[in-house]
Amino acid sequence: MASEHENMLMSMSPSVLHPRDMTEAWTFKKLLDSDAVYVAGGTLLRTQWESGQAAMPKHLIDLSSIPGLKGIEKEEHSLAIGALTPLSECRKDEHIRLHCPMLVDAIRSIAAISVRNVATIGGNIVSRVGDCLPVFIVCQADFEWNTGLSPMTEDASEWTERLQAQLPKASHLLTRIHLPLFKTTEIVPRRFGAFHKVGRREAFTPSLITVALNGGLKADGTVGEIRVAAGGGQTIPHRLFAAEKLMKGQQINRELLAAVHQTIVDGYKPKPDPFATEAYRKKTAANLIVAELWKIAAGPSDEGRERDDP
Amino acid sequence: MIHKILAERRTEMDLECEINGEPISLDVPPTRRLLSILRDDLQLTGTKVSCEIGRCGACMVLVDGQQVNSCLTMAYQCDGKSITTIEGLGSSEVDPIQQCFLEEGGYQCGYCTPGMIISVKALLTHNPEPSAEDIEEAMSGNLCRCTGYGGIIRSVQKAVSLRRNTQ
Repeated sequence: MASEHENMLMSMSPSVLHPRDMTEAWTFKKLLDSDAVYVAGGTLLRTQWESGQAAMPKHLIDLSSIPGLKGIEKEEHSLAIGALTPLSECRKDEHIRLHCPMLVDAIRSIAAISVRNVATIGGNIVSRVGDCLPVFIVCQADFEWNTGLSPMTEDASEWTERLQAQLPKASHLLTRIHLPLFKTTEIVPRRFGAFHKVGRREAFTPSLITVALNGGLKADGTVGEIRVAAGGGQTIPHRLFAAEKLMKGQQINRELLAAVHQTIVDGYKPKPDPFATEAYRKKTAANLIVAELWKIAAGPSDEGRERDDP
Repeated sequence: MIHKILAERRTEMDLECEINGEPISLDVPPTRRLLSILRDDLQLTGTKVSCEIGRCGACMVLVDGQQVNSCLTMAYQCDGKSITTIEGLGSSEVDPIQQCFLEEGGYQCGYCTPGMIISVKALLTHNPEPSAEDIEEAMSGNLCRCTGYGGIIRSVQKAVSLRRNTQ
């Protein structure tokens, strides 16, 4: 027997449109406006419709019918990831494993394989609270959008900052993610990076807190560059600018870490829910980041990133 | 003009795919869940219904050899695909994975078992020599409320060694 809820959803009988290219998809969205939504894997949307968190629209615009939006390519200075690439494909991709293992860690923590086989990297991003987002923020990824007029590229961090104040344009279509390839240099000979997620249980759980950091140490052990971001749950991930500023040019030591911990507690703005308070989330995010920094200070390691090919 | 293109790009209410090796043509709305198609339209009730939000894995099936939650999969996403349900495994004789579950006590009430076996099938197809970590990851989308997972892990390990020894 079909559930009552499904019968209700089916009675609305949404149509599914299969655009042949991005221009068609954008045109359909502009024409049908709020009566239509873009759908990639549809795993998140389906759960929102089932749970009643969102109404099923009159039309679905199926992005999987558009060629060229899937796949991962290594370019000279970045990896280009098609927005329609399933999470499981990203998880297994050799280039991502080599150049950005923290993205693999993030993807591995999202749902289970069966969901990741269908869900896409683009869907994780445009959900605005996807667990990959902190990684893209700290890795200075660029998001490439089809805006109907000309392609637009925006830094992941700027995009998420803007989301704090306003919703993105519903007609804009994420097409590609450009993930920079970080290399060690004479000035920054040691790079580091990490992603951590804390949920309500060990595996296959929605996040409570996610953190990511990416940076490099100078030869004298001072922090040459660093980006730190935190998100989790329904929190739109954001950079922790004050903590970054505090660390830049400094040796990582006990005093600095104590100050960084307090700065994160003050600067991270999580959304509480019935499962975890704001105070718990702040403290956990600060603990995760400081513990990672402590490991970095303790000794050389390739955690988070391997050297690029010369 | 645009309305003509809209009409042309709209999915008709039919689904053509292969289910357990048989070509199927069905008149269903494009957003109907695969779970409902299997259980209600085709009476393939081996695929179980439980959480309906992709959390428990009771409704797991293979689509083109990959494990997916049929409760999250819509009819139009199955068009032209090959779908395998628990009925499609061991249709002539018990599948070796099923046999391992029987021998190692990989089930108690049995409700999660079809989904578990489908996930193991996908795992061993893509990774015949999985590590303990690989097994945990592959099975993390299948919940069991009876066994405590010990018997299930034993069953998977036995299926791995059985496969190794018979090849």
